[in-house]
Amino acid sequence: MLSRVAHSLYWMSRYIERAENIARLLEVNLQFLLDFQGLNDASLKDHWDSIILSTGEEKLFAEHYKTATSRTVTEFLAFDLRNPGSILACVFAARENARMIRDQISAEMWETINELHLYLKSQNTTDVWAGGPHEFFARIKQASHLFQGLTGATYSRSEGWEFIQFGKYIERADKTTRILDVKYHILLPNASDVGGAVDTAQWQAVLRSASALEAYRRAHVSAILPWKAAEFLIFSDSFPRSLHYCVAQIDDFLRRILSETGARPKSDAARAARRLLADLQSLSIAEIIDQGLHEFLQQVQTTLDTIGEEVVQTTMFYPAESSAEEQQQQ
Amino acid sequence: MSLISTNYDAGSFFDEMFEPDGKTVRPHYRRLAERLTTLPAADFNQRRAAVDLAFLRRGVTFTVYNDSEGTERIFPFDLIPRIIPSREWAKLEAGLIQRITALNLFLHDLYHGQKILKDKIVPAALILGAKHFRREFMNFNVPRDIYVHICGTDLIRDHAGNYLVLEDNLRCPSGASYMLENRVAMRRAFPNLFSSYGVRPVETYGDALLKSLLYLAPDRTDKPNVVLLTPGVYNSAYFEHTFLARQMGIPIVEGRDLVVRDSKVYMRTTAGLVQVDVIYRRIDDDFLDPTVFRADSMLGVPGLVGAARAGHVALANSIGTGVADDKVIYAYVPKIIKYYLGEEPILANVNTYLAAEPLDRKYILENISKLVVKSANEAGGYGMLIGPASTKAECESFRAQVAANPRNFIAQDPIALSRSPTYCDGELQGRHIDLRPYILYGKKITVTPGGLTRVALRKGSLVVNSSQGGGSKDTWVLQGDE
Amino acid sequence: MHLSILHRTTFTYAGKAHDSFNEVRLRPIDDAFQKCVSFDLRLEPTATPQDYSDFYGNTIHYFDIAEGHTKLIVEAQSLVETTPNDDRPSVPSVSSSDLEHSAEREMFAEFYTSSHYVPLEVELWREAQDALCDGRADVWNEVCRLGRHIYRTFAYKPKTTGVSTRANDALKLRMGVCQDFAHVHLGLCRSLGIPARYVSGYFFNTTRRPREIEASHAWIEAYVPGFGWAAFDPTHDRPADDRYVKVAVGRDYADIRPINGTYRGAPTRSLKVDVKVRQTNGRLVPA
Repeated sequence: MLSRVAHSLYWMSRYIERAENIARLLEVNLQFLLDFQGLNDASLKDHWDSIILSTGEEKLFAEHYKTATSRTVTEFLAFDLRNPGSILACVFAARENARMIRDQISAEMWETINELHLYLKSQNTTDVWAGGPHEFFARIKQASHLFQGLTGATYSRSEGWEFIQFGKYIERADKTTRILDVKYHILLPNASDVGGAVDTAQWQAVLRSASALEAYRRAHVSAILPWKAAEFLIFSDSFPRSLHYCVAQIDDFLRRILSETGARPKSDAARAARRLLADLQSLSIAEIIDQGLHEFLQQVQTTLDTIGEEVVQTTMFYPAESSAEEQQQQ
Repeated sequence: MSLISTNYDAGSFFDEMFEPDGKTVRPHYRRLAERLTTLPAADFNQRRAAVDLAFLRRGVTFTVYNDSEGTERIFPFDLIPRIIPSREWAKLEAGLIQRITALNLFLHDLYHGQKILKDKIVPAALILGAKHFRREFMNFNVPRDIYVHICGTDLIRDHAGNYLVLEDNLRCPSGASYMLENRVAMRRAFPNLFSSYGVRPVETYGDALLKSLLYLAPDRTDKPNVVLLTPGVYNSAYFEHTFLARQMGIPIVEGRDLVVRDSKVYMRTTAGLVQVDVIYRRIDDDFLDPTVFRADSMLGVPGLVGAARAGHVALANSIGTGVADDKVIYAYVPKIIKYYLGEEPILANVNTYLAAEPLDRKYILENISKLVVKSANEAGGYGMLIGPASTKAECESFRAQVAANPRNFIAQDPIALSRSPTYCDGELQGRHIDLRPYILYGKKITVTPGGLTRVALRKGSLVVNSSQGGGSKDTWVLQGDE
Repeated sequence: MHLSILHRTTFTYAGKAHDSFNEVRLRPIDDAFQKCVSFDLRLEPTATPQDYSDFYGNTIHYFDIAEGHTKLIVEAQSLVETTPNDDRPSVPSVSSSDLEHSAEREMFAEFYTSSHYVPLEVELWREAQDALCDGRADVWNEVCRLGRHIYRTFAYKPKTTGVSTRANDALKLRMGVCQDFAHVHLGLCRSLGIPARYVSGYFFNTTRRPREIEASHAWIEAYVPGFGWAAFDPTHDRPADDRYVKVAVGRDYADIRPINGTYRGAPTRSLKVDVKVRQTNGRLVPA
């Protein structure tokens, strides 16, 4: 298939996944703070700071906003077009990519993205606050799920399908690491706080962000044990948002895209994916905590970046437009 | 209540369905008339609504760009078909084949020996000053010596019912997709009527087009790679581009998907570079290759003309065909036919005055309010004055333009275009129509039986173009005469 | 005269350029008064140029460079023999009405109508009338006087106009370089219905003006029935002689661009042009 078309399918998929994940992140954390009346101002600020830190956009945020509060963070992450990672910016980008390849996707897929885009254009932070943020985020998640479902139901299992899935799982894996990272950035509790109400509530929020609370409870006991949540989200091979699951998908689709049929991977990207998968199959949570959870998550992010970049360069590369040579006067 | 009212006004125009009395139905429309008489209006409306909905869902649209956001519109479709008996069609077909044969020879001559200019049949100044005469293409050898692979010639009928050629479209003629979609719609709306009539099929267009494209392929492989080159989603005819590409089963590409290496053209795919042999290009010459034509074009492929020159890729239509569909050159086509074929034209032109000729210019300037004046290089009905329907100010403005730049204008006596019964506000009313058949020049020249009949939906209007309030009808060429 | 010409163009990019596609018009023509003895095109990075002849009989070399490069050098070296002045016929005197009625004039319609750089606006016509206020004469005489008029009333000043300056703008400024002088001269001739074409080439300069850059040169040729194309250089107020080497002809600069093309990547940081025209006894002068 044309590189340009693969490129658009890949990014359409990534941007929708990204928008959904940010919606989750914001929603759960808003809910968390509502639930937890007992937090003082300093802890609140830390909490919101940590969310910004986990997105990696702290510098950009500081350029435009003075302090991290529920309002400013919602504004920044949901509506601010100056932030290329905001929900609005992502949906706009997803729609643009979808439009470029409109004849490749089904009418329903296009209509779903288009409707989400129109809905977002009609909202702003004040509306969201007035109407109840929960509604707003629910709408976004629903649209993303609908889109994925329609894709599953109406898109042929062809090369295009591989790029869509590859993009989705790369994005999802990356966002899962960031959801986990939020917990890191909140100052580590001292010994007496581990297992305490705040700590537990924070882990619960992390699981909720990934819609993983029920799945976690089925897999473990109903009590939320520290680090058990992290273990679940990193190593579970059956929960679709866990790192292990995502990287297994990435490995599979990557090999199909790069036509790697041999047992030993040939390209750097395939090798990196295979190694990461092996780590996720064999490491233990204790080893990761020893190494440092934050450091581990950062490494995973870098690996995912490299894999994505190499696949883009190899298969989806179509260069920018030409410039004309300067002329010489006579 | 049937649609055929007792007071159908045929007016002073040639009506496709009715004799001048407005009551007697022409033989080849009889079956249709019978069906419409027995069909309740509500039933007809139901079918109409179903067709419209189908078009909307299938996305049979075109885009109008009058602001930065394009609005997509359905090209309005009228359920009453235009019917042509086989003996009428035979003459049209012969005339169109003759015309494209002569025009192709003309193009070859213009880009090689220019004998017709040296013999002073066509004034050299007209060619050299023509906007679409591509000097860069001089002495270029084109595959199979064919310049025009796809042609859309617009035909009209005068008050006596004679078919006349209004203009040729030799660059990127569009509308074939609507012709195909209209046929699908009619089959669904009136299945029994359709089969009882014996209508010649148009569904073969995609196959015929692909065959004529494959005919051009250089001798590289026995599975030549044919692609359709489009300017992209922002082009008003993008629907047609994707439609035709799908019909033929060929990839649709934009300029940035192609790259030239070593004078060969390649597509950028996820599996690497794949060579291209034939390009059905729906991009105008000007934007095709920034190295040779407009340097600011983002739509083209640098080096494409070099690759065509080296014989590694074939372009359909060829570069430089626009010089022969220039509205001023149009007036010379009868002479062109005689010069290359030694024959009288089977299909006549509309009588044309050339502002570049002093006597004609005087006539035009003095009688502008009675004439239809056209700018030589505008398309889509723009740059045109319909004298009898215009204000004094509009006529004055045009007169000044003609005086300032005579080479750029022609004028014609207004033709009383034929009319066809069209569904308007619950009944059938006569509306002006034209016809665009599609001619394919491959190993043989074929004319698809039918074509796109365009109808001016506004009452009294003569403008049939989609962007200005036109619609279309299905065109039925019968196996027999009724 | 035996002349050796070097024309080197160097494009330096702010970064890497790639997928560079180019056409160059650098090879001197062969005609009744000039023979191109040898022509060599050197490209850096290396590429193999192909060539073809365009509508005006100019030779165009074209090439492409796919891989990344930070610099592009196009270097043309030619050896040309021009017919000595004494062996050139003089231009006959032909009246304007004879020109208007000549059979061939029709074939040169593009040379007396508007072109991209020379739109025939009324200011050019007025200027031509003023220049010939002393009276009308034969075609060649008028062409020369129009050229002289520009020479006398325009200032040769580099860096005041640009490569895209058109004739009517240069006319308002009343200054420019030889490209502008040629365009204005074409405008004046064409306003009077005289077919005239742009000539790009080189000039062996035995008397250089102060601040005159050594670059490729531009002048014009006017059509005189019974003779053909007669050349005049408005920058130096004289007919072109054996010191002039023709490379390409066309309606205006747009038809003869020495180098044009497109590429992908970083913008041009600098454009450097080196031209050397030297007299030679048949050997190439070292670059």
